[in-house]
Amino acid sequence: MATAFRAASSGYRADLQKHERRLLSSLCGDVTELLTRRGREASRDSGDGTEDSGRPSRGSGGEADALFAHFSAELAGLDSEEPLPLPSDPVVRRLLPDASEDPEEADQLRRLTESSLRESQLADLRGARMMLETSPVTIPESGAAAFGRALNTVRLTLATRLEIDSDEAAAQVHRRAGTGRVGDSEQFMAEIYTFITWLQESLFEAMLEYVPEHGTEEEGSDT
Amino acid sequence: MSTAAGSTLTQEQTEFATESSEQARPDRPYCVVVWNDPVNLMSYVSWVFRSHFGHSKRRAHELMMQVHEQGRAVVSEGDREQAERDVTAMHRYGLQSTLEES
Repeated sequence: MATAFRAASSGYRADLQKHERRLLSSLCGDVTELLTRRGREASRDSGDGTEDSGRPSRGSGGEADALFAHFSAELAGLDSEEPLPLPSDPVVRRLLPDASEDPEEADQLRRLTESSLRESQLADLRGARMMLETSPVTIPESGAAAFGRALNTVRLTLATRLEIDSDEAAAQVHRRAGTGRVGDSEQFMAEIYTFITWLQESLFEAMLEYVPEHGTEEEGSDT
Repeated sequence: MSTAAGSTLTQEQTEFATESSEQARPDRPYCVVVWNDPVNLMSYVSWVFRSHFGHSKRRAHELMMQVHEQGRAVVSEGDREQAERDVTAMHRYGLQSTLEES
């Protein structure tokens, strides 16, 4: 049985079973796949013509290619007037939401910021998978926020698949997970969702203890 | 984030493009709104407000409760560039967030 996150000497740690670590890691992998696919779709549809510029880096190595794709997508966003298509998958739409209620402005902001948001989410997921390689799972203080974000990304993904769109729907999922019966895949998803919720809650409860208290109430971030 | 240099460009482009339609001025203040959703945990949202904006524990809790009970809360105000950065940060944390003119 897993134990929740708790503060350790220089970060946080949780004892997770091998199958639990594998499951979390593969879920991170699934979300990575969705976001990567979206990246391809977005750079294709924004009329990114870099494909024929004969860059030698093409196909030579993951990191360089990813970086190149990232910058070319950014540049395509800068000089293209074409809006990026809205993500068709509701999960991707939830992870890369509109940044304005005004549709025109939302389009523009998506064109300018989506690729960097996507890249940072991918980096969080990559880091989380690495931390899930070892047992017990030990998260250094400096990596806790990124790990927590990745867990949250996975939770949001499951929540969207489970169609949690109200407090009532959320309560229903928790009730369903609590029955302990072996059911269909939706039952399984509900169990995983509840497990990740518990894990994330424990991590952030522990992290909240260590956020330094800044100045006085209203003064915000004066230094 | 990796686009610290790029965001200056982004900002210019943004102002340039909106100028004709909305008479947006670079000095016009913007605010960042976080919206309620049934998934994000209360402890998580409080933590994000504290760590990203440097709000006190009490202020972060108040804002979180405002989001929870009223459906939305303004969590920061600033120029356009700052607001874009904050909204993207909120999205990175998985919160529903938009920017609007103050």
